[in-house]
Amino acid sequence: MADAATATEIVMAGWEKPIGAAIAFAAGAIGTAWAQNRIGAAGAGTIAEKPETAGSIIVLEAIPETLVILGFVVASMIIIML
Amino acid sequence: MDYGYVNARVRGMHSVLLDKKSYDTLLIRQDLPSVLSELENTPYKREIEEASVIHTGIAAVDFALRKNLIRTYQNISDLVRGTRAEGYIRIFLSRWDVQNIKTILRGKNIHASHDEIFECLVPAGVLDDATLTELLKQPDVRSIIDLMATWNIPYAIPLTESVDEWAESRELVTLEYALDLFHYQNALAAVQGRGSENRIIRHLIRAEIDTMNIKNVLRIIRDNLETEPAMSLFLEGGGHIDREKFIAMASMRSPEEAVSVLDGTPYYFLQGLPPVAYSPGTISIIEKELDLYLMRKGMRLFRGDPLDIGVVIGYLWAKYGEVINLRIIARCKYAGVSDEDLERELFHV
Repeated sequence: MADAATATEIVMAGWEKPIGAAIAFAAGAIGTAWAQNRIGAAGAGTIAEKPETAGSIIVLEAIPETLVILGFVVASMIIIML
Repeated sequence: MDYGYVNARVRGMHSVLLDKKSYDTLLIRQDLPSVLSELENTPYKREIEEASVIHTGIAAVDFALRKNLIRTYQNISDLVRGTRAEGYIRIFLSRWDVQNIKTILRGKNIHASHDEIFECLVPAGVLDDATLTELLKQPDVRSIIDLMATWNIPYAIPLTESVDEWAESRELVTLEYALDLFHYQNALAAVQGRGSENRIIRHLIRAEIDTMNIKNVLRIIRDNLETEPAMSLFLEGGGHIDREKFIAMASMRSPEEAVSVLDGTPYYFLQGLPPVAYSPGTISIIEKELDLYLMRKGMRLFRGDPLDIGVVIGYLWAKYGEVINLRIIARCKYAGVSDEDLERELFHV
């Protein structure tokens, strides 16, 4: 009985980590994509009318990248530390 | 629809509208030529330069402002082409079609010259420059209506239905009323849905119908028309002015009394106007206040939801207001009107 429980734990630990890491990374990536889509559309409109705002728009467009980086870090921690 | 791109562009356009400082700079100019040269430092530069080649003086300002307004409206139309917003913008711009047709009919009715009528047209709607020019070439009102019917222009429907009545009475108001009724009923029918955008546009159209009804009543009273025939000028579809209110207003003897019927509606503010607004024979101040009310209502939409049609509609109203103000400034400078009077004439929105 005890042997069976140990075997189950080992099997779960095998697929939990990559799935968890994948969810962490994918959620960050999807969030980033959605945010960049909206910011990109509005940013393109703004640059079309006021080209001098291009610098600010590029910075704003890059800000959501932090989400996917955070997702990547969490995914790495899941893989390495657990 | 994703309004991100369109609204960002429109916000960019809104940011180059003239601010108070620019108006002050124009107002301190002594005469029309200096106003013209000052306008060259604004986004109107291109049109002023084009106008200066063809016209001089006040005609150049009129030409440039009209051209700029048309160009702006066409820009917006191009931006929203193929999207859901196109229908809403078309509703807004169709008021110019109605205005243009009325101008042509009025011009032909009083036998004004081709050029005189053409200068008053703003081809910002569906009817473009070429169509309006062809309509202008027609010798009389009936031929204009016939040509519109031949080209399947929708506005020919109400005009054709009322042309016999007009032929008997020779009162152009018959045709204009039919045109207004058709326009507003069509506009309301196009925004019958339950969405928030439909609601916004519907609300605005209803307010416009209300202001038209109030103006009509005031004109009826000013011209001492009988209440019975006046009833045929009532436009259905208003938000606060229903048939009963319209009859009640039309049965009053003076604009002041008529306005007192507006208690409990958003138009009660007309009661607070100074006595000069109710001078006998003049209703222009009241009409201006109603136009201002409508303009403010439209412009307020710009500050609403950043991702809906309100931003575009708000901008279109703001641009219209700016062009009106610039025309007032140019005309007052041309006529040598005092600064105080000019300030009073401006649309402060």
